Amino acid sequence: MLCARKSDFTPAQRAHTRRILWLLLTYAIVLPPLVWLHAHRHIGPTLSVLMAIAASIPLLGIFASWGRYLSDERDEYHQALALRRIAIATNATMGAAIVWGFLQAFGAMPLIEAYWVPFVWVVLQGVAGCVAAFSRGAAAN
Amino acid sequence: MSLNPAMKRYNRRMIWLWLIYAAFLFVALYTFTHRLLGGPGTYLVAILPALPIIGVFVAVGRYLFEEQDEYLRMLMVRQTLWASGFALSLATIWGFLERFDLVDHIDAYYIAIVWFFGLGVGAVMNKLTLGASVQC
Repeated sequence: MLCARKSDFTPAQRAHTRRILWLLLTYAIVLPPLVWLHAHRHIGPTLSVLMAIAASIPLLGIFASWGRYLSDERDEYHQALALRRIAIATNATMGAAIVWGFLQAFGAMPLIEAYWVPFVWVVLQGVAGCVAAFSRGAAAN
Repeated sequence: MSLNPAMKRYNRRMIWLWLIYAAFLFVALYTFTHRLLGGPGTYLVAILPALPIIGVFVAVGRYLFEEQDEYLRMLMVRQTLWASGFALSLATIWGFLERFDLVDHIDAYYIAIVWFFGLGVGAVMNKLTLGASVQC
């Protein structure tokens, strides 16, 4: 079966995964009411700024969690793998942002909210994590 | 501080890439201002200036690969991590400010520009925390 055991992960990886799951859960809880409020109630600019920051905080936490993981990870091999993953995700995300940005600038594509760029980065990290976990499971079998 | 071979190659690549960027941007602006192209050709010309900037990211990656001095490599890795954290965090905050109609939409390539600025932030952080930074 293609699944990773708990013992396959280092303590830093487990702590990082726990932090990410909590942050995503917080994001999923915080975002819908904020979007609903914005769509259905007249909100003043100050409160809107606070709402925007509140919606951003869990995602900022994800970036902070990656930094914390790199600092906590004692296994140099896993640290190097994480750095490699971050480098690939960052290059792919920035590449997409640049291409999309020039397509927007020349009117070929619509303007989108800037948070889609970090969203792509987070999704790429998630996909890379799943691929790594499945590969570990396959290797163990 | 004298530059090692990896740094020299990195600088050379950067100069070429930014020169190509200037040329491609000029071509794209001229083409769009004078409406010389239509259909799929517009997409190709719009993407043209993006290619050298993508090359800049590749050049940073190649520098990390080619740098033999582990300390300098570690400094550059820290700089790029600061840059990524800085750019992605600002993009997240700006995105939600856009979503709640507080600021205007921006072209997505500004996030890459913020990333380059973030490299400077990373250099300052390296200087403050480790007393050194990569001087390419």
